[in-house]
Amino acid sequence: MAMEDEEGVMSTGERLIYMANQIARNLASEGGERSAEMVADHIRSFWDPSMRQRIVALAADRPNALSPIAAAAVRRIAAA
Amino acid sequence: MHADNTKHVVEKWVERLGTGRDQLLPLLHAVQDEIGFIDDATVRALAASLNLSRADVHGVVTFYHDFRRRPAGRHVVKLCRAESCQARGGARIEAAAARRLGVAMGATRSDGQVSLEPVFCLGLCAIGPNALVDGRPIARVDEAALEAIAQAVAA
Amino acid sequence: MGFTRETDHGTLPALATGANVTLTIDGEHVTLPEGTSIMRAASLTGTAIPKLCASDNLESFGSCRLCLVEVEGRNGYPASCTTPIAEGMVVRTQTERLKELRRGVMELYISDHPLDCLTCAANGDCELQNQAGAVGLRDVRYGYDGATNMGQPKDQSNPYFDFDPSKCIVCSRCVRACDEVQGTFALTIEGLGFGSKVAASQDDAFLASECVSCGACVQACPTASLIEKKVVETGTPDRSVITTCAYCGVGCTFRAEMRGEELVRMVPWKDGKANHGHSCVKGRFAWGYAQHKERILHPMIRTSITEPWREVSWDEAIVHTASEFRRIQEKYGRLAVGGITSSRCTNEETFLVQKLVRQGFGNNNVDTCARVCHSPTGYGLKTTFGTSAGTQDFDSVMQSDVILVIGANPTDAHPVFGSRMKQRLRQGAKLIVIDPRRTDLVRSPHVEAEHHLPLRPGTNVAMLTAMAHVIVTEELYDEAFIRERCDWDEFQDWADFVSEAARSPEAIEPLTGVRAEDVRGAARLYATGGNGAIYYGLGVTEHSQGSSTVMAIANLAMATGNIGREGVGVNPLRGQNNVQGACDMGSFPHEFSGYRHVSDDATRAMFEAAWGVKLDHEPGLRIPNMLDAATDGTFKALFIQGEDILQSDPNTHHVAAGLAAMECVVVQDLFLNETANYAHVFLPGSTFLEKDGTFTNAERRIQRVRKVMAPLNGQADWEIVQLVANAMGLGWSYSHPSEIMDEIAALTPTFAGVHYDRLDAEGSLQWPANDAAPGGTPTMHIDGFARGKGKFIVTDYIPTDEKTGPRFPLLLTTGRILSHYNVGAQTRRTANTAWHPEDRLEIHPADAENRGIKDGDWVGLKSRAGETTLRAQITERVAPGVVYTTFHHPDTQANVITTDYSDWATNCPEYKVTAVQVGLSNGPSDWQEDYADHARQSRRIAPLEAAE
Repeated sequence: MAMEDEEGVMSTGERLIYMANQIARNLASEGGERSAEMVADHIRSFWDPSMRQRIVALAADRPNALSPIAAAAVRRIAAA
Repeated sequence: MHADNTKHVVEKWVERLGTGRDQLLPLLHAVQDEIGFIDDATVRALAASLNLSRADVHGVVTFYHDFRRRPAGRHVVKLCRAESCQARGGARIEAAAARRLGVAMGATRSDGQVSLEPVFCLGLCAIGPNALVDGRPIARVDEAALEAIAQAVAA
Repeated sequence: MGFTRETDHGTLPALATGANVTLTIDGEHVTLPEGTSIMRAASLTGTAIPKLCASDNLESFGSCRLCLVEVEGRNGYPASCTTPIAEGMVVRTQTERLKELRRGVMELYISDHPLDCLTCAANGDCELQNQAGAVGLRDVRYGYDGATNMGQPKDQSNPYFDFDPSKCIVCSRCVRACDEVQGTFALTIEGLGFGSKVAASQDDAFLASECVSCGACVQACPTASLIEKKVVETGTPDRSVITTCAYCGVGCTFRAEMRGEELVRMVPWKDGKANHGHSCVKGRFAWGYAQHKERILHPMIRTSITEPWREVSWDEAIVHTASEFRRIQEKYGRLAVGGITSSRCTNEETFLVQKLVRQGFGNNNVDTCARVCHSPTGYGLKTTFGTSAGTQDFDSVMQSDVILVIGANPTDAHPVFGSRMKQRLRQGAKLIVIDPRRTDLVRSPHVEAEHHLPLRPGTNVAMLTAMAHVIVTEELYDEAFIRERCDWDEFQDWADFVSEAARSPEAIEPLTGVRAEDVRGAARLYATGGNGAIYYGLGVTEHSQGSSTVMAIANLAMATGNIGREGVGVNPLRGQNNVQGACDMGSFPHEFSGYRHVSDDATRAMFEAAWGVKLDHEPGLRIPNMLDAATDGTFKALFIQGEDILQSDPNTHHVAAGLAAMECVVVQDLFLNETANYAHVFLPGSTFLEKDGTFTNAERRIQRVRKVMAPLNGQADWEIVQLVANAMGLGWSYSHPSEIMDEIAALTPTFAGVHYDRLDAEGSLQWPANDAAPGGTPTMHIDGFARGKGKFIVTDYIPTDEKTGPRFPLLLTTGRILSHYNVGAQTRRTANTAWHPEDRLEIHPADAENRGIKDGDWVGLKSRAGETTLRAQITERVAPGVVYTTFHHPDTQANVITTDYSDWATNCPEYKVTAVQVGLSNGPSDWQEDYADHARQSRRIAPLEAAE
C-alpha cells in the first residue's frame, strides 16, 4: 500500500500495516513458513508491546490489508 | 565571449595533445602560439582539462617568462640579458632600445605596435649583444642595428 | 609548568623495510631504520639541526639550505633533510664552516624580512626567530636599501587567518602542506627568483580561491606570514590540553591551546591516531559557538509552548522535570514517557540518559539520532558479521589497492579522512564511486575515479546485486575464504540468487541508468584489483532498503575475501562525533550497551543487579513510533538531550504534530533549537570544551574529551542528568565521568578494559578492549567473524514506494557540505557562515531550462509531504531528473519535503529519495512563513522579575 498522492502522513494504524508488509516483502526470499517466522521474530525483537497488540487487532479488523506472509507472521505473534 | 573562444582553443589542443599532466607545457605553448598569450580563462580551462588545480597551472605559467599574460605588441623585440651580453655592453644597448622604441623593458607600447622583453642567452655569446626580433636572431647589436630594428618594427 | 611545543623531527619517518643502519652523529653511535634522513636521525637522538623548510609531516624539500652538515668522505655540505643515513657514515652537525654557512644563509633571509619581532604576532612562537638565534646571527651586512619584498598588503579575507606576504620566506611549507596533507593544491609559488611569492589559486584572495580553510598551511608556516587571527588578537598560549573534536565521526585529536580560560587556538595533535596532525575548517576554527550570544545559560520553563520562556533556578527546573514525568506516568502509564540520547554528547552522558530511562522511567523508550543515519549499519553488520560497527581503522586505507565509495562524500563530510584517502589515491590506488552525484572524489584536482556509477536514487540494492552477479558468474570470488569463514551452503543460495539473469548489469541498466559495461568493470576491479575496501555513508543507509544495502555490501566483501586484515573491510563513515558511542552505550530501544537485546535474561539480570530495579524485557519505542504514539495520545513526555529532531528528522509536519501533542518536552541543549519551539523545559547544556568524558569515532576508537574551561552554563551535561535522576529518587552519586566509564566497563564485555588511566596512558583504545584483546582491536574479524561464520544474506531489490510521476517527476536527494555541520546549530554560529550562507537546490541545466529557471532564482520545491522554497544552483553535478540540497539551515526546512518512508528493518528515514517538482517561486512558502512566526514567538524569553 503506497501513500495517497495528497496525504503527507500515514495514520499510526496505516503505518503499522505498511511496516509489517514491508518487512514481509524484504524477508520473502526464504519462502512461506520460514519467512513468516523471520518476520515474526523481527517484530518481536523491535516492536514494543503496544505496537504488537495494535497490529494483531488491525489484522483482525482488516484481514485483507496484510500480505499473506505478514498475516502469517502476525498470527504467530498473536499466538505467542 | 572571449572566454568561450579561449575554451575552444584549449579544448582543441587538449584533444590533439592529450590530458596527461606532462602535456601542460606543450599545451601552454600551443595556446600561446595561437592566441598570443595565456589569460586567466586559459589557466582555468587547462586546469579543468588536465584535472589540476588553478594554483598548479598558475604556478607554472608565472614561472616562465616566455608565457605572456597579456597580448604582445605586433612586433616583439627580445634583448639578451645574460652575462656575456652584459659584459659586451648589453645594458647600454637596452637603455638605447627603450628610448628609441619608446617602450620600457618588459612592456608593450601603448599603441600596441611593439613589445620589448628580456631573454636569457641565445647561445651567441661571442658576438653579443644579441637580440631576437620577431623570432629572428640579430647579433652584434649596436646603434645602427637598433635603428634598423626600429625601422623594421615600425611596419 | 611551561608551554611545550611538540618536537618536529624535520622529515617523514622512513618507510619500514626492516633493515637498520648504524652511523655516527657528532661522535655518538646511532642506529635507525634505513631511509631515515640525517636530520631526523639527529633529532630523534637529541640534536636539532637548524632548519626552516623542513617539517616532519611533509616530504623533504631541501630549499632553505640551513640544515647543511659535514659528512666525512663527501665533498661539500649536503642538506641533512634530503640525505639518507648510511651504514658507517660519520656526520658532524656543528663545525666552524657550517656555522659560517648557516649564518650567511640566515643573513640573506633577514635582509628581506621586517625587524618588528617585538610587536609581531609570532613573537615567542616563530621558527625564523628561533633559527636566527640558533645560528648566532648578529648583523645583516646587506642593509635595507633597494628592492625588498616587504610592505606588501595583507590578505585578511579568510575569517580565521591572515596572510602577510611581507613576512614570507618562501619556504613552500604552506604549498606542500596543501598538496601533500590536505590534497587540495590551492596554493602555489608564483613567479621565480626574487619575485617568488605564495599565491592562492590565480593570486586570488584566500577566501575566493580553491582554499578550503583547513589551516594546514597556517600550522606549517614558520613565521607570522600565515597566522590565526585569534593569536593576533590574544597573544600566544601558555598551556595546552589534549581533547577530541566534537564535529564529525573522524574524531580528530587536538591540542586546545589556552591562555588561562581563553581558548587561543585548536592545533591538531600529531599523535592523534585518527587525524595524525591534520584537521578541517570546523574542528580547527569553528569553536566560537561556545561563546555565541545565543547560547542559553540559565534553565527555563513554561506551561505552554505559546508562552514566552521563564528563567528559573536549576532546582526549580529539575524538580519540575522530575515531577512532570512522574505525574504523566501516573496518569498515562509507565510507557507514556521516554528519552532521546545525543550522539554529540559523551559516552558517559549517553549511558546516563539511557540509564535514566531504563532505571528511572522503567521502560525501554530510549532512542538516538543513529535511528536516522546509521541504524541500518547496526542491523546489517550485526546480522552478517556479528558486530554493529566498521571493521577497520582509518590508517587501513593506506594499504588499500581498490577503494569503493558508495553513498558517501568524504571530502565534504569526513574531510580529514577524505584527505588521507586522496593521499592513497595519489600513490596509485584505484577508486570506484557509486553516487547519483558527481562528488569531488569523482573528479577534482589530482583525483579521478576509475569508475563513476551515477545510479538513480533508490537503486543501490539492484546495483550491488549486479556487481555480485559479475563476481559470481565470472568466478571472481574467493572460494578458500568463503569455505573457511562463511557457511558454504548459505553462499551457494546467495550465489544462485545473484546469478539469475534478472540480476545482471544488463538487465538492470534501464532501472539504474548506468551502463552495464561500467558496472562490470567496477565489479571486476573490486574483486581482482588487490586489497578492496568499501567505504559507505548515508547514501546507503537512508533508504527504504538501507539495511539490505549494508548487507549487500557485506556480501561483496565476504565473497571476495576482503575482510580480516589491513587495507580491506567494510567501513561505515559514522557521521557524528559520538554516534558510534551512542549506539555502543545502549541508546536503542531494543538493546542494552554492547548491543545485547533487552530480552536476553542473563544480560538483563546483570543490569538489574547493578541498578537495583527490575528492568523491562520488551523493546521500547523508536523515535518515529514515539511521535506516532504521541499523536495517538498515548505518549506524553520526552527528555531530549542534544538532538534537534524537528530540524533533522523527516516529515517535519509529523514531528511537529507529535511534539505538540505531548505534555512535557524537555530539551537539554546549547541553543534554542527548532525542537525547543515545542518544549516546556529548557536545560542549558555544556560544550565539549567544558566537560570531561569520551567520544567514540567511526573507527570504534574511544578518545578522551578533556575540560579546558569551566562550563558557562554551570554544569556538565552528565551532572544535569544526575540531578534529574536524583530528583526522581535514583540515588546516583557519580563525582567524575571516569566513574561512569568504570560502570560501563563492568557491565559491557566489549568495554571491559576501558578505564581512564588506560586512556590517558595509551591515548585511545579501539573496542573490543578486554582480556581477549587487551590492546584494543584495530582490525576486526581477523581469525573469525564476531558471530562465528560470516552470513550471506539474499537481498532482493524492492523498489521504493516513493515513485515519480507527472505531478512529481524529479528525485530529490540530500547531503552535506564541508563548512557546515549537520543542522548547522554550531557552525551557523561561527564565521563559517562566510561559506554557504544558505542551502541551495542543485539542478541540472536541462531540467532548469524546461522550467525557465536561472541560477540563483527562488524555486518552490514540492513533494507529497510538503513544500519549501530556496534558491537554485544550476550544475551538471547532478544527472537530469535528480535534484540535490543540503539541510544546514532551518529556514530551508528541507525536511518538510522528505517523506514517511523508511528502512524496513530499522525505520531509518528514506531521506535520499523524494519525488518532487520544482518551479519558479515568488518567495517563502506558507509553511515557512507560519513556521518563522511560530519560531519567533517561541523564542521569546520573559524579562526576569526584579532581583530578590
